[in-house]
Amino acid sequence: MVSVGPVGVNRRLPRSQPQRASRGFGAVMIWTGAGLVAIVLLASLFAPLLTTWGPVEIDSTAIRQAPSAVHWLGTDANGMDVFSRLLYAGRVDLGVAVVSVAIAVVIGSVIGAVSGYVGGALDAVVMRLLEILQAFPTFILALAVAALLGPGIVNLTIVVAIVSIPSYARLVRAEVRTVRELAYVDAARTSGLAGARVLLRHVIPNSLTPVRIVAPLNVGWAMLALAGLSFLGLGVPVPQPEWGAMISQGTSDIVAGRLWTSVPPGLALVVCVLGFSLLGEGLQERETRRRTR
Amino acid sequence: MRLARYIALRIALVVPVLLGVIVLTFLLVRVLPGDPVQAFVGPNTTADDVEAIRQRLGLDAPLWQQFLDYLGGIFVGDFGTSIQTGVPVSTELAFRLAPTLELVFLGVGVAVIAAIVFGIISALRVNSPIDHVSRVTSLVGTAMPEFWLGLILIVIGYQQLGWFPGPSGRIGRGLSPTPITGAEAVDALLTANWPALGSALLYLVLPVLTIAVGVTASLLRSVRSAAIDIRAAAPWSTAQAHGISGRPLVTGYLLRGTVSRIPTLAALVLGNVLGGVVLVEYVFSWQGMGQWLLRGLLYRDYPVVQAGVVIIALVYAVAYLVADVIHAALDPRVRL
Repeated sequence: MVSVGPVGVNRRLPRSQPQRASRGFGAVMIWTGAGLVAIVLLASLFAPLLTTWGPVEIDSTAIRQAPSAVHWLGTDANGMDVFSRLLYAGRVDLGVAVVSVAIAVVIGSVIGAVSGYVGGALDAVVMRLLEILQAFPTFILALAVAALLGPGIVNLTIVVAIVSIPSYARLVRAEVRTVRELAYVDAARTSGLAGARVLLRHVIPNSLTPVRIVAPLNVGWAMLALAGLSFLGLGVPVPQPEWGAMISQGTSDIVAGRLWTSVPPGLALVVCVLGFSLLGEGLQERETRRRTR
Repeated sequence: MRLARYIALRIALVVPVLLGVIVLTFLLVRVLPGDPVQAFVGPNTTADDVEAIRQRLGLDAPLWQQFLDYLGGIFVGDFGTSIQTGVPVSTELAFRLAPTLELVFLGVGVAVIAAIVFGIISALRVNSPIDHVSRVTSLVGTAMPEFWLGLILIVIGYQQLGWFPGPSGRIGRGLSPTPITGAEAVDALLTANWPALGSALLYLVLPVLTIAVGVTASLLRSVRSAAIDIRAAAPWSTAQAHGISGRPLVTGYLLRGTVSRIPTLAALVLGNVLGGVVLVEYVFSWQGMGQWLLRGLLYRDYPVVQAGVVIIALVYAVAYLVADVIHAALDPRVRL
């Protein structure tokens, strides 16, 4: 993983005023982003301590009730506590998004690295396949694969991972094609190391920089995609708590003026995705500065 | 002449990709669990009936023959017949495509203009409070789930303010213009039907805004960084050194240089919007391609899914082609 936080880059160079300001803002973005993600993560991990109701516990005396001392964010059409569902849903959304991106990074990097390193016919075939996959707008592909696999948390993770693989494969392939021409790779090869070893020990580790920056941004995207699939009924099955599904279940409430069922899960999504975006943007800014140094 | 050759070459490159899309979609719908005939018949149908329907739909033929039939049909604009409705897919498509394209193009169009304006303002004052506010706002915009934003806009624009119609349909009752394209606002404009145009535009505001917010946000970041690159390059400082300043500098150098990068970016986001438009259509009960495709997927309506996906991929590919041609026209450095 990438270390998060302000690092003493650029220290030896005289800095001009705007550069310094920019560096400050980059660090602010990284820390704010990490903070937002941490808040959501902790709230969902410690959900049992923070809530008085279970996420699927039904209070039949309180159906569609406005926020009160008993139900802090009110209840939904089933009499389930919105606050509790909101916190527990964070586990699903964060978990699925992070795990699916991790899977996509690993599989995508391996495909891209092997394709780029070996080159030739294999590379040509892989690239054409990736092009075809990318000719589908991503969410359409996700819809189709989700319909293919059916609803459920594991399937949802697989769907989001599959549709993210092509972009990582292309990213890593491009980088590998530059790295494999570098002198130290040549040196490793001529010193008698096997191809796979050169690839694993020298080429791949040095080709992952762009992936490190794109991954946090992609976690945010993954979260929006999985919530969208659940919103359409293709993701997490009811009554499991998930933000997109909660928004969907609250659609009739929102039209009737009961804002507490749909607005909080949407805000939670915004906060969480924003956190990952800030993190990604800040890391990108840091990387750009490091390269221009 | 050069341009014609370039376009021909690009089309030649697109064809294999589209063929791949056609094959992949064909196979994908057929590995979907569930049977289109079972999804369509009632509980009292006998196995013989099911077999008869299967035969009528050509689903009993070997896979390669089904594919060849399908492929042959595409070239004459025949996408088969919807299993659910029994209506030719091309007829349904004609009603579904225009409303979606209307939504998508308007949304992206509004977003492009907004992104250019705010992106350039931001780039002219890098690291000022205005710049920071615009960057953070755009990040918030990209972080917003569009289906949720749509609901919020309905609450504000329809329920609270009452300025815009509710999320049902695309035009006021009894105002529908003579259908030409299927997109109400365009049809009203073509037939000079002003009351219909007014109503159609009011219905468009909230869904277009829903799309535009997210798109503006993501385009703004690219516009800003493109403009910053231009400001860091030699021509900019040369122009400044020659005493060019103010409006000529901004419009002649910054705006012109930035705008030439827009078509490619717009085509890229257009693809994302086309993919995600189903969510916006769902929220606003907009009977477009997205909802049609979703229903097709849920009911295993093979011909509908095949046609829907292939058309969307085609629109995406054409948008990219057009974007590249416009880019070449705007940027004198590009040699075709």
